[in-house]
Amino acid sequence: MGDNSRFWLTLVKVILVQAVSLLLLWALQVRYTP
Amino acid sequence: MHPLNWIIIGGYLLYVVVDGIRRAKGTHEISGYFLANRSLPWWAVGLSVMATQLSAITLIGTTGQGATDGMRFIQFYFGLPLAMVILGVTLVPFLHGSGVFTAYEYLERRFDAKTRGLTSFLFLLSRGMSCGTIIAAPAVVLSAILGWKLIWSVALIGVPTVVYTMVGGVQAVTWVDVKQMVLIVAALVILAIVLVVGLPLGPDDALYLAGATGRLKAFDFSFDLDQTYTFWSGLIGGTFLMLSYFGTDQSQVQRYLTARSVDEARSSLLMSAFWKIPLQALVLLIGVLVFVHFLFRTPPLYFNPADRRAVERAASEELAELERRYLQAVAEREDVARAVAAARRGNDGVAIQSAVGEFLVRNQEVVAVRNQALELATRVTGSRSTDVNYITPWFVLHDLPLGMAGLFIAAVMAAAMSSIAAELNSLSTATVIDFYRRWVRPQGSDAHFLRVSKAATGFWGLFACVVATFAGTLGSLIEVVNRFGSFFYGSILGVFLLAMIPGARPNGAFFGLIAGMAAVATVNFGAPSVSFLWHNVVGATMVVLVGGLLSWLGNSRKTR
Repeated sequence: MGDNSRFWLTLVKVILVQAVSLLLLWALQVRYTP
Repeated sequence: MHPLNWIIIGGYLLYVVVDGIRRAKGTHEISGYFLANRSLPWWAVGLSVMATQLSAITLIGTTGQGATDGMRFIQFYFGLPLAMVILGVTLVPFLHGSGVFTAYEYLERRFDAKTRGLTSFLFLLSRGMSCGTIIAAPAVVLSAILGWKLIWSVALIGVPTVVYTMVGGVQAVTWVDVKQMVLIVAALVILAIVLVVGLPLGPDDALYLAGATGRLKAFDFSFDLDQTYTFWSGLIGGTFLMLSYFGTDQSQVQRYLTARSVDEARSSLLMSAFWKIPLQALVLLIGVLVFVHFLFRTPPLYFNPADRRAVERAASEELAELERRYLQAVAEREDVARAVAAARRGNDGVAIQSAVGEFLVRNQEVVAVRNQALELATRVTGSRSTDVNYITPWFVLHDLPLGMAGLFIAAVMAAAMSSIAAELNSLSTATVIDFYRRWVRPQGSDAHFLRVSKAATGFWGLFACVVATFAGTLGSLIEVVNRFGSFFYGSILGVFLLAMIPGARPNGAFFGLIAGMAAVATVNFGAPSVSFLWHNVVGATMVVLVGGLLSWLGNSRKTR
């Protein structure tokens, strides 16, 4: 696999993991902040 | 403190020193001492990158911030994953591929010696001082809670670090960082579990009470330049700050220059991109849980025992009156907190609303009395008293099961030592490579440079310990240097960005750097309320604009 395609794949993984982290934080805020 | 805690701390210190010194074997030349002959695996480098960034303040200050202010500090890190990805395709291949020892060495190849000299000098100045403050911050807290003189805490943290860094070089720094990172994460996870298990109510009720006070509010979407932490300052300003820190600060660049290949160097940075936000969220959540813990266990009026002693000596009557009001407010708050949990069990919406309203009023009363007490301490001691950094250590020492205090203090020391070791190692590299070998003795033997490198590590270690010991009296000087540091952080990033523009010229880079620093200084003094996270954006943009313009003018004159 070329460097470029590996980079884009990693970028997608980073975005996914961060999206899950931020969604969890968001859910925590929405669930418990009046 | 119980002897078992001391045994844990002593065991930890002995282990890191022996393990670090063991790594010196086979290091006979500076390429091994500073770069491990570019032989390290990505996961070890990645853990070292994370350990370097995570200082003792993260464990004691950020948890304290979680307890008093909640989760919103997490926004500071929102730009980090993006910055790591950008660095992976831009600076990392440039720096790793060019075979340099320091990031600034690359600037001489691309521009000229004066740009390299200035950026490296700025690095030495700011990191030399900041290394002292990294030792001082946990040392001051340890001294206060254990009742020691500051110099002993500084020595306990500083001496073992200097010894293993000096003897073992970057191999010792990296492999000890790996173990220290494991210890830190283990201590955090155990702390979180012990906290949750020890609460008199379930996690859902605990989070409900914390959320009622706004502590679970992690996102602020307002575009207010004066607010330090918002979604936008974290995402935009944070990206620039992290690009500067991981892309141009030698203490981080040197970590990934030791990786086996460009690809492994990239992967090591991506470890932070994946794990930094979840780890930081855990740290802040622990702080939030400490707040909930103190709803059901009377917290002290002053978490810093030195504050209490000073107030007791100077204003004992005022203290007695404040403590009486405080105990009453805390007891009332506890009753109402239990009432909130009971109302939630009853599932009665009106009762829950009313109990939460009452809880917030009582909590406000506790906060008001504490603020008065801190103001009194400020008046008495003459220096601003905020005891945020003392909340978690107090909790750990007084409220945790046997052995946990030792584990936590060892983790705090590990966090401090991993950052200090990386900084000493990089300060020594910049001193020897950018100045000694460049200007003083370009033709020395490898054995000679190795001796000088070890001496330079020892010198910077001693310098950092002296700065840490006199941190109290040097307070304003350190602040000036830190502020000065913030003037050029983004500007140095601008120079590296300029280096990637094909037509950029040496004078454009040098004068662009000066223009960037001047612009940040202007914003800093002209609009002091603007959050520091925006300074890096201003600095980097100004360097690219001015440097680009000067280079273009120079190029067009040449063509004519």
